[in-house]
Amino acid sequence: MATTTPEPLLSPEMLAQLERLELVSRKIFRGRMKGERRSRRKGQSVEFADFRPYVQGDDLRFIDWNLYARLDRLFLKLFLEEEDLHFFSLIDASASMDFGEPSKFLYAKRLAAALGFIGLCRADRVKIETLGQAVANPGPTLRGRRSLWRMQEYLEGVQADQNVSLLDGVKNFCIRNHGKGILVLITDLMDKQGYEKAFKYLMAQQMDVYIIHLLSPEELEPDVSGDLRLVDCEDADVAEITVSRPLMQRYRQTLNAFVDGARQYCSRRGMTYMLASTETPVDQLVSNYLRQRGLVR
Amino acid sequence: MWPTWISPFTWWQGIIFAAVPPAVVIALYFLKLRRHPLEVPSTYLWHRAIEDLHVNSLWQRLRQSLLLFLQLLILLLVILALFRPGWRGTELLGDRFIFLIDTSASMNATDVEPTRLEFAKKRVDELIASMKSGDVAMVVSFSDEPHVEQAFTDNRRQLRKKVAAIRPTNRRSDLTKSLPIVAGLANPGRSSTTGTDDIQVATAQPANLYIFSDGRFDSVPEFDMGNLDPTYVPIGEGQSNNLAITAFNVQRNQETLDQLQAFASIENFGDEPVTVTASLYLDDDSADSAVIRDAAEVTVEPGKEKGVQFDLTGELEEGILRLELDETDHLQLDNRAYAVINPPREVNILLVTSGGGSLEQVLSTGGIADMAQVSIMAPSQLSQQQHLESAAAGAYDLIIYDACAPAVMPRCNTLFIGTVPPAPKVVGTEATEEEPSPAEEAEPAAVEDGADSPIHWVASEVTIEPIIVDVAQTHPLMQYIELSDVLILEATPLLVPPGGTTLIDSDAGTLLGIAPRDSFEDVVLGFELVSGEGDPNTNWPIRRSFAIFALNIVHYLGGATIELETATIRPGDTMTIRTEGPVPSIRITDPDNQTTILKQENADTFLYNETEQFGAYAVRQDDKDEITQRFSVNLFDTNESNIRPIEKLKIGAEKITGERVWQPLRREAWKYLLLLVLCVLLFEWYIYNRRVYL
Repeated sequence: MATTTPEPLLSPEMLAQLERLELVSRKIFRGRMKGERRSRRKGQSVEFADFRPYVQGDDLRFIDWNLYARLDRLFLKLFLEEEDLHFFSLIDASASMDFGEPSKFLYAKRLAAALGFIGLCRADRVKIETLGQAVANPGPTLRGRRSLWRMQEYLEGVQADQNVSLLDGVKNFCIRNHGKGILVLITDLMDKQGYEKAFKYLMAQQMDVYIIHLLSPEELEPDVSGDLRLVDCEDADVAEITVSRPLMQRYRQTLNAFVDGARQYCSRRGMTYMLASTETPVDQLVSNYLRQRGLVR
Repeated sequence: MWPTWISPFTWWQGIIFAAVPPAVVIALYFLKLRRHPLEVPSTYLWHRAIEDLHVNSLWQRLRQSLLLFLQLLILLLVILALFRPGWRGTELLGDRFIFLIDTSASMNATDVEPTRLEFAKKRVDELIASMKSGDVAMVVSFSDEPHVEQAFTDNRRQLRKKVAAIRPTNRRSDLTKSLPIVAGLANPGRSSTTGTDDIQVATAQPANLYIFSDGRFDSVPEFDMGNLDPTYVPIGEGQSNNLAITAFNVQRNQETLDQLQAFASIENFGDEPVTVTASLYLDDDSADSAVIRDAAEVTVEPGKEKGVQFDLTGELEEGILRLELDETDHLQLDNRAYAVINPPREVNILLVTSGGGSLEQVLSTGGIADMAQVSIMAPSQLSQQQHLESAAAGAYDLIIYDACAPAVMPRCNTLFIGTVPPAPKVVGTEATEEEPSPAEEAEPAAVEDGADSPIHWVASEVTIEPIIVDVAQTHPLMQYIELSDVLILEATPLLVPPGGTTLIDSDAGTLLGIAPRDSFEDVVLGFELVSGEGDPNTNWPIRRSFAIFALNIVHYLGGATIELETATIRPGDTMTIRTEGPVPSIRITDPDNQTTILKQENADTFLYNETEQFGAYAVRQDDKDEITQRFSVNLFDTNESNIRPIEKLKIGAEKITGERVWQPLRREAWKYLLLLVLCVLLFEWYIYNRRVYL
């Protein structure tokens, strides 16, 4: 196993903590394979749900013969279906994510790994991709607890050097992944073309979309001073500033407006938006904040 | 009020000079590496943040250049400070002030309206009015004596009241006594002794000293101003004219003694020759008005002095002569002078001699006989009770002891010839029965006291043929005396007690000395006129100088001089009044007819010091109406009569140039500018470090 970080993405303690959790979808999705998840749909399982009259064509195996003997009518026993869930983690791997201490990208990978592990534990189908994922090299689809190491290996191999726009990345993802399920997009939303178009694509997917807006403390409360030439690490765009109190106030206002705008945009379109700072530990974020938001339980 | 500048440049040079440094700073500002590059995740938010600020970008640029503006401001202030701006104003600088106001006679001059003193008071009043709250000031007036009108206070009303109450005097001015008073308050120097440690108790109190005067006083050579910051404000016009009587006295004509001669000296302190009529009045107590006795027209060249002489014929036993100039000049005080004619009084002289000496002959000459009554007594009578009483009561003006000495010194001036006065008795003043011989008297004193610092007269061992090397001819006793032809066989050189003066000095030591004793003076001659065997010891008695010496003795020691000529003093001086024989009290009537009664304190001598007014003072004995003597008070001071103010005072090593207050004080602003620079610098530092724009 190639190790690019001094410590594994998920520590054993964290794994133990995550084991108890489960991903929740607010929507009913048809899984491709039978999973450990009790679906709202009726299906084959040991858990009885209801009876219904037999109609022609129903599977004879589910006829309740005891009832037929008593009532002389055919009833079908219905069972709750247990099915799997599609869980997608989409990580923004642009250069802007590689900032902060720990970097936003590492944080995003940890978060994706944590959520993925929850899914793996519940036999969901977990797929982790980056925005700039090459079509020829799609991310692995993982299932089962044994895939944890594959997932980690894969995540550790991902580098934050894929400078594609949010729109292009999302479009690329949506083309390749049609299924229904839960989509967690971990990004800093720092795209000069805006996020709105990209989010529209996500809406069209009719997935249960979670946007985790990841910002580093350096972005939330910049500790800068003096006359500066700010260079964008993605497109080398330059902004000359002289740090001053009004400017810092203005920055904070802009940031707040930006965050509020994104939140409103998402909530109006049935997406769940969440602002996360890399200061918050991943396990805390998962077990507290995401739990509150209903992603996990 | 516009500031004035002290700058070596003309205005356009100044502008060029002032423009260069800001230009350099601006150039450096543009040349400097403007911004530090910093890589950020995204400039997305930053762009959006500065978008709004770009709306008013000019103002933003200005704001961004605040440091530059602050630097330019600092530079501007420094340049401004270098040009030394200042304001002219009468505002006082400092917080402790001493106003020293001259109240001497010359301050009565009217060359500035209304008088110099009033003008000075007005200036002080203005300065007090411009004192800041919390400032303290002190007012001292001075003539020949300082007078603290008001000690340090911040009560301006009190200060102004005290200044308004200052009155002119007729005295001379003398700064030597005033300066220690004001300096003592500003300079430490007093110490307190507790146990063995000497602790400084006074702390330095720097003060601004303002001297309001015409500067007509002697320079004060040895004085350290220390913490005092003196400012001299000359009062008076530089073109002042004054004509003054600088001397006026009356003498009996040497040839015809019943005739009087009045001499006056008139001095012109102006620039133009002045012709003036000097009128001589005789004020008679009996007559209501003064009688003009004589007048003379005198022309005095500028800066010169001219003498006038009046011959007064007729029997004039007593009276007051008044000389007046009809000139109207800036100082009227010195245009009038008084001289008194006292009834002739004989000097009472006792000569104690074994007889046959040349002294008796000399004292019996006509000149002396007219002035003095000489009694002669043998040395053996010295111990007689009658003599002791009269000697102790001060019945004589002068006692001459020729080769003898009394047991107790008499209460009068003495002349000892060939002997020395007895050592002062430690206990009691009773005369002893024994009659000390000169030799016996001299020997123990020498043994007791050693030779170096005698506290009384000591005669040394006999010296043969001493050679006279010096005669103190400036002393009144030795005037006109030439001793080069005098030979002496044997002499006992003298050791003069402290305070004494050597009058005749020889190669062996002092031959004639004078020393004070209480209110009297003792003159001791260190050689006998006639030796014990009757042979002449010296040829002095047959020289002319001996007769002159005798006359000087009668004049000076007998007090004849005062009686006849110099019964005039200056205002404020103490008049020593001697009566003929002891009287219990005297009454003195001043020119305003105010009478002062003086009780007897010291035999026949009375001291009177309320001599502020010019004019003639009359002295009466006891309750008698008869005037026994008179004296006059006159200015007679060229320093006071010369009323042109001095522009530069010299106090110690310091020369203080006069600053006329109406040429207002210059208030420098550079200190405040530099303070401002410091503040702006701090502000810039704060801005730079905190990145805060206000």
